[in-house]
Amino acid sequence: MRISRGRFLRVFFRVAFYLLLIALPLYASQYTVTTFIRIIYFGFLSVSTGFLIGQAGMVSLTQAAFFGIAGYGLGLFGYERGIPFPLADILAILLVLIFATVFGLIANRAQKIVFLMITLAFGQVVFAFALQNTTLLHGWAGIRGIRPPTVLGIDFNETANFYWASLAIFSLALFILWRIVKSPFGLMLNGIRESSQRMVALGYPVYWIRVVAFLIAAVYAGIGGLLATYNTGVITPTTMQLSRMIWVLLMVILGGASYFWGPVVGTVVAVWLDVLISQVTERYNTVIGIIFVLIVLFSPTGILGYLDRIRKQNRIPILRKFYDVEKEPEMEKS
Amino acid sequence: MDLKFVILILNGLTLAAILFVLGSGLTLAFGLMRVVNLSHGAFYLLGGYIGYSVVKATGNWPLALITGGLSIALLGLIFERFMLTRVRGGDLPETLLTVALAMIIADQALVYWPRNPVTLNVPDYLSPSIELLGITYPGFRFVMMIVSIIIAVSLYLLLYKTKLGAAVRAGVDDRETVDAIGINITVIYTAVFVLSALLGGIAGVLGGSYLQLSPGGDAIILIYSLVVIILGGMGSLGGAVVSSLILGQIVSFGLAYFPQYSYFLIFIPMALVLSIRPQGLFGRKL
Repeated sequence: MRISRGRFLRVFFRVAFYLLLIALPLYASQYTVTTFIRIIYFGFLSVSTGFLIGQAGMVSLTQAAFFGIAGYGLGLFGYERGIPFPLADILAILLVLIFATVFGLIANRAQKIVFLMITLAFGQVVFAFALQNTTLLHGWAGIRGIRPPTVLGIDFNETANFYWASLAIFSLALFILWRIVKSPFGLMLNGIRESSQRMVALGYPVYWIRVVAFLIAAVYAGIGGLLATYNTGVITPTTMQLSRMIWVLLMVILGGASYFWGPVVGTVVAVWLDVLISQVTERYNTVIGIIFVLIVLFSPTGILGYLDRIRKQNRIPILRKFYDVEKEPEMEKS
Repeated sequence: MDLKFVILILNGLTLAAILFVLGSGLTLAFGLMRVVNLSHGAFYLLGGYIGYSVVKATGNWPLALITGGLSIALLGLIFERFMLTRVRGGDLPETLLTVALAMIIADQALVYWPRNPVTLNVPDYLSPSIELLGITYPGFRFVMMIVSIIIAVSLYLLLYKTKLGAAVRAGVDDRETVDAIGINITVIYTAVFVLSALLGGIAGVLGGSYLQLSPGGDAIILIYSLVVIILGGMGSLGGAVVSSLILGQIVSFGLAYFPQYSYFLIFIPMALVLSIRPQGLFGRKL
């Protein structure tokens, strides 16, 4: 079969782009690499949030808490109890799963906006507990001094090594999520997003499908939390603050919640915006808030939705070659 | 009865007064418009700060209460008319807009008001010492409870004894039909949102005179108000009364006996109610 020129170009540029990402520590500054590590761990968090919003229509505001729970798990098991590398991480993810099961079983009894409020409250429960508990979690101070392990002679304290490891994990995780989205399970989620009553009528166990989706998303947020905790060396209640969760929500909407790559694009843009804005002004949140308002009012489908529209209108023909996002149905209103 | 107990119960009632004013606004807006106004906490904070400035400048507390409430009502009007209406019907965009507004308000408040916690000064004539069951208790707290009761009664009368209230209640059940029989539902939406903002602002002045106003306080207040309406049932005025009374006592006793978990404790009744009766104590199934 002959491969068309357009398709060849697309594949070529994707491979080139990925190679550039892999080679990043070789030509970019330490600061850039660190920023990319931040993009990756926040990427996990926003992909987790975006997966629920885009695929299942569930706006969960507990994801930052799962991010933090994984970090605290790592701090408690790995740092304070001295449990070695893979085991402590697995225990931390198990801890996330336990919380996610309890929260998911309760929160999924409600839907849509009520689900949002309940998950918001759950997220704040965890935050409040971490903040006020001084005996186990050390309150404001949190747990400090967590370092990445050395595995098979590779020292992950080295920024470049840590970056490569993060990139590999992120790529694998995105690939798995892509398979999940395209699987029958993913289609069931889309069905629930469009009309949960219809799915109930068709005989699908809607409640349990939503719970499972919630668990998957929690694991993704948890992996992000592990990477973040290794990278910064600290885990504090601030990680789980409401403002953090809102920032993540902004990332998802900025990129385009209904697109698979939306949260990733949003994270890249938002993290760099973060860097740029904080250099210019102290009124960081005002700027972010205004951007938020503008996106919701004028481009609710986010950056990818905007590019998609331009591409369809053929205004910039060259975009057709480089940019090809799997078209997915727009999110249903209300 | 132990004196400490009496004081804790009274403290709980005072908190309940604030929580009710706060939650009633949110529950009204939610009941009719199905909008979770996540800027309600920021409304509270801004209303309180404006009241603080008024008291500082004039020393007139009732004026502060009115100014704080009305300026937030105006803000609510502008926000509803120019932004919220544009995305009407979309759960997510509506919620996100209120989130964005909350971020902007909270950040701007940092510019104009001090970063350390402040409290509104209450004039002496509003705060006589009142002797009750053998203890002296600041009279101002009774003023707060009275204000709260007045608000509760007026809301009840407004909702159940006026034409506007009837239209609002009808809108809760079926907005299309209300619109179809010639009632302008858009105007009612605006009116309810403005009323809700007004209550948020008033709650801020009340709360700022009893508790403290501080940067970041808006998130905590938002959570309190969400718990009030989740527990009581969204859209239910009676539910807001009962749940704020319950929460007031929990917070008051929690602070005294389990200071490490005071904030955490308020979620226990919420989790219990949600797992047994997801629509809240007095809520209807959505």
